[in-house]
Amino acid sequence: MFKLKIKNGHNVNIAGNPDKKFLPTRHHSSVSLSPENFRYIKPKLLVKENDSIQLGDPVFFDKLNPDIKWPAIASGKISKIVYGDRRVIKEIIFEVNDDKEKSLQPNSPNGLSSKEGVINYLLEKNMWPFLKQRPFNKVANPSDNPKSIIISLANTAPLAINHHFTLSDQQEYIVSALKHLKELTDGKLFLIVRPGEFTYLSDLEYIDLVEIEGPHPAGNIGVVLNHIQPINNKDIIWTVEGHHLPILGKIFSDGIFDPSITINIAGPCVKKPSYIKTRLGCPVDIYCQDNLTRDDVRIISGNVLTGKEINLDGYTNFYDSSISIIEKSFERSFMGWLHPGGSSKYSIFNAYIGDNKKPYKFTTLQNGSERAFVPIGAWEKVFPMDIYINELARSIVANDVDEMEQLGIYECDEEDVALCSFVCPSKTDVGGIIRKGLDLIYFDG
Amino acid sequence: MDNMNFLKKILERSGKLFEKGRPLSWAHPIWEATDTILFSTDKQTDSGPHIRDNMDIKRTMFFVVIALIPCYLFGAYNIGYLNDMATTDVSRSMFGNFIFGMSYVLPILIITFVSGAICELTFSVIRRHEVNEGFLVTCALIPLTLPPLVPLWQVFIGTAFGIIIGKEIFGGVGTNIFNPALTARAFMYFAFPTRMSGEKIWAVLPDGNTGATALAIPANSPKNIASDLFSEASNVAPNYFDFSLWKMCWGLIPGSIGETNKILILLGAIFLVYVGIASWRTMVASVSGLFFTAFLFNILAGFSTNAMLTITPLQHLLIGSFLFGTVFMATEPVTSAHTNKGKWIYGFMIGVLTVIIRSVNPAYPEGVMLAILIMNMFAPLIDYYVVKSNIKMRIARNA
Repeated sequence: MFKLKIKNGHNVNIAGNPDKKFLPTRHHSSVSLSPENFRYIKPKLLVKENDSIQLGDPVFFDKLNPDIKWPAIASGKISKIVYGDRRVIKEIIFEVNDDKEKSLQPNSPNGLSSKEGVINYLLEKNMWPFLKQRPFNKVANPSDNPKSIIISLANTAPLAINHHFTLSDQQEYIVSALKHLKELTDGKLFLIVRPGEFTYLSDLEYIDLVEIEGPHPAGNIGVVLNHIQPINNKDIIWTVEGHHLPILGKIFSDGIFDPSITINIAGPCVKKPSYIKTRLGCPVDIYCQDNLTRDDVRIISGNVLTGKEINLDGYTNFYDSSISIIEKSFERSFMGWLHPGGSSKYSIFNAYIGDNKKPYKFTTLQNGSERAFVPIGAWEKVFPMDIYINELARSIVANDVDEMEQLGIYECDEEDVALCSFVCPSKTDVGGIIRKGLDLIYFDG
Repeated sequence: MDNMNFLKKILERSGKLFEKGRPLSWAHPIWEATDTILFSTDKQTDSGPHIRDNMDIKRTMFFVVIALIPCYLFGAYNIGYLNDMATTDVSRSMFGNFIFGMSYVLPILIITFVSGAICELTFSVIRRHEVNEGFLVTCALIPLTLPPLVPLWQVFIGTAFGIIIGKEIFGGVGTNIFNPALTARAFMYFAFPTRMSGEKIWAVLPDGNTGATALAIPANSPKNIASDLFSEASNVAPNYFDFSLWKMCWGLIPGSIGETNKILILLGAIFLVYVGIASWRTMVASVSGLFFTAFLFNILAGFSTNAMLTITPLQHLLIGSFLFGTVFMATEPVTSAHTNKGKWIYGFMIGVLTVIIRSVNPAYPEGVMLAILIMNMFAPLIDYYVVKSNIKMRIARNA
């Protein structure tokens, strides 16, 4: 077991932290799968509108790697396929038929005791997209040989779900998922947990627990890897979202694809921030109805640092485990830069009188204009990796691929530097810069 | 509140005139600056995190200016106080001294800001970049580094030089190599030496009196012990300046406008470190470098006739502009070393160089300005080697 204490970072004290209780389960008449949630793929459809479909049937595949197919996340029919500019597939919307879903029969799979067996089984069941890789944070390539697999069960992001709470009744499936995932690597299977949580995992000899303490981004796989097993230039690390483990567990033990997940809806504009038992690609409006404190809100699939804005009639993204809702504010305060402070300002600098102990109602305001970058050491305060992030960002802006590699770009992902953008007084989008660098390397290499 | 809304509406409407394709679009940076100074921007987060910290560059720069205000107030008072003391037939109240001093400080300050604003606005219009609030700090720093009797036209040219050559030709804030305020100061020192050095400019004194700075005392008297020289120079007619350690700390001695009171500078330092803007590493390293070198020179003093070598570390700390430079100039984030390890080396070397320049070349007693400019030049190199060690570690791991 590894114990890791992270010092640099910050737990954003945002209002609307979810209570540990569940909203009543709602009926989902439609769900959505968006190929845009998956980086660097070229989707080709295998279905048409109005096709009848069964859970787990292939819906589209990646032209660049035709073995990888995406599963239907509902039984029923394809009600709509939304295209964007140049016929880019934006979204596949399923109409859910409950009776059809209940008719699925379990059948125990076999041949799962080897790496090839597990890979082939996941590909055949169209479950491969649940596996992601670092670097690049994209769907894993089945022909790669991952150095290790790492899964975070300690989500430290603001308003994130508490896996210990949401997965408390899924022990059997989690163990099944982990046992089979271990087959995929000759290296270690790391699990990031908070102290005292998921204690039953310490009995499993094929798992290396990493106990983390400290502020966000302590629970990010990138941060933990940087401390225990840094990603070298040719290394591939695989990962799975913690809240997807039960889905994989059921596939491995029962042979059934059950798209149920537990996520949360939270944020300063949510009346009752709480957990919801829902499914992949669920519509957000049914959870927002009568649950918002105001109308002018931004709905985010994912957390407030790295999530993507979606519309009220939109659906959650594939890998996300929360819906965050913040106020859209256009307030302009008179001579705001002179403001003494109090409860209306939040800063990790000691820049305002009063403290940040009370949860703060963050809005969509950028709180300042973009300026040339002045390195007063703000990024370093919240970036706990052995990487010179300032120099790395500069090398990316200069398109210097060699230097990016030398400075450790493969070890970073957008989510690891999100707090740097949060604190940056020049309002620089550091994550965007990191992504630009990764894209450059990906498309050049 | 109605007035506020009225003002907001005027800004919004006038803003349209500055949009792309409109007649005044060339002046958009100026309008943006005015608009966001009056009302905080309503710009929405669109890429990256959806929420942002409330700290921005405006407030950052504003804080540095706040830290400088006590130095201004005391500087003005000091000018009046020294004049009062040296002039036998005048006796003013404390406030009177302040007003007297202000009559010298204010014109310098105004000229600096006029010159700075002209340069910054012109460049932001030509270059089409936003007006960077950093120039306010540059302009607030320059007068504090000047003697009270500096001619105003020199201030105007010096400031323009600092902003244009020190900053804009390198691409503006964020890409400049030298501290613009120090560039201005150095330019003026070398371009107008007769008005920027000597014994007559550091205090406003009646004819016939001279006001040498503390640094000039040992510089001009070889074969002596600095401490003795300070006591000899103290309380001598007709000026009665007191060069005891405590008085030098309090700053009632001749010098540049803002550097004499070390206690206020220290307060500024504590404030800037507390808010999280200036680096304590640079400051601590710089003072350590100064102590280390001064101590070393004290040991070597027996082998030389140079009185500067006998200045104790504490005296070095309190005389001249070292503390002011360390706190407000060396810590300037863009031109200092960026890495934390680099800041230790960068700061330490500023301290070392300050003492070396002061002592080894007594013709040029104030060393901190050149020390910082030299280290500004080396800061990228220091960072390069610090980062290189990180790269080497990574290459070794890859192999």
